[in-house]
Amino acid sequence: MSCELYDDVLDEYVDGARAADRADARLAAFESHLAGCARCQGLVADFANIRRTAAALDEHLPPPRVWAKIASSIEQEERQPWWARSLANTRAARLPLAAAALLALLLGGAAWLGWQQERGSPPQTTAAVQTPDAGTAMAEQHYEEAIAGLQQIVDARDADLDPGTRAVLRQNFAVIDRAINESREALSDEPASALAQESLLDALDTKVALLQDTVALASEIDGDRPDDAAGAAQVNQ
Amino acid sequence: MRTADLELAARCRAGDADAFAELYRQHARRLFSLVLRMTGSAEDAEDLLQEVFLQAHRKLAGFRGESTLGTWLYRLAMNHCLDHLRGRGAKMGRSTESLDVEDAFEPAAYAPIVPTAVSCVDLERAIAALPEGYRAAFLLHDVEGFEHREVAKILGVSEGTSKSQVHKARMKLRAMLSQ
Repeated sequence: MSCELYDDVLDEYVDGARAADRADARLAAFESHLAGCARCQGLVADFANIRRTAAALDEHLPPPRVWAKIASSIEQEERQPWWARSLANTRAARLPLAAAALLALLLGGAAWLGWQQERGSPPQTTAAVQTPDAGTAMAEQHYEEAIAGLQQIVDARDADLDPGTRAVLRQNFAVIDRAINESREALSDEPASALAQESLLDALDTKVALLQDTVALASEIDGDRPDDAAGAAQVNQ
Repeated sequence: MRTADLELAARCRAGDADAFAELYRQHARRLFSLVLRMTGSAEDAEDLLQEVFLQAHRKLAGFRGESTLGTWLYRLAMNHCLDHLRGRGAKMGRSTESLDVEDAFEPAAYAPIVPTAVSCVDLERAIAALPEGYRAAFLLHDVEGFEHREVAKILGVSEGTSKSQVHKARMKLRAMLSQ
């Protein structure tokens, strides 16, 4: 019998299988063959040598920063999307088509926000404690002004939306307003928390995006160009 | 073992941060070693290990205990490695090897040709030069100590393919180490 036909059994033999331990005719035949085959003896010796050395190779320890990054990412994922999840749970099948498209836009925006935040922020294992950020207060004011301007337009265009779409939008605004309120409460409890600051700005940013989309939707339904929305959107840039 | 795995997975799913840290402590070292040997780059290995554990965190809800947590994590890790290597290969303008590449070279020598005291450094270098399919099967079987049926599960191939890959890897290593 040709040596190559024993190749699979040869590897089993190297891994420790023996005919004496199990009723295996091929293994028994190989052991007989091995006794008189220099080629197979050479392979067995070399494979066993390689196997022994491979099993003794050192393990490598990942640097501590890997776990720090993982912990930080998990923390961000867990705190970020409760309202996005809430929105996602809305039954799209019950929505008018335009509102469903709007919902998709909103969720896409939320995901983008998360991605943008992840890219821009250094890894943190716990909520970073830092001095109160005056920039956050300025940004909040900036968002509030944009929201107020957009809200006026939305209120004026409210009649352009069909009742089903309006109901879904109200539901979505209620979810976002709740997120904003909770973020404000968290920031009030811990004014120096970077996590609470980011959370509030994210929620405000999402509300601006939803308002912009609402204006665009109303304009689309009405057959107008969304000039007002574009103008208001620039406030936010 | 399975019960312990299921309990740990359940604690992770329930949001127990200590449980996930425990999962990391139990498996990170071996997974990092595997990923490092697959990619040959410490930087890539760190990124991939991070991706593997983040994906594991998201997917733990789907862990049913049909395999051990270790095998499940190895499968995630190997999928990431192979995707990464194929992506890198595509970027370099060449296709990387499939799991079945050309037959291994066998030197026309009968007596043992690998030095008796083969050094770990030489073996590491030779493993790095293996085609990725051979390398994956060899690392899982000979370095990590998985049985062929487990290697097959991790790589998503048949047990016969796993045996064939390990045999060819050993043949190639033998040829490289004899030079």
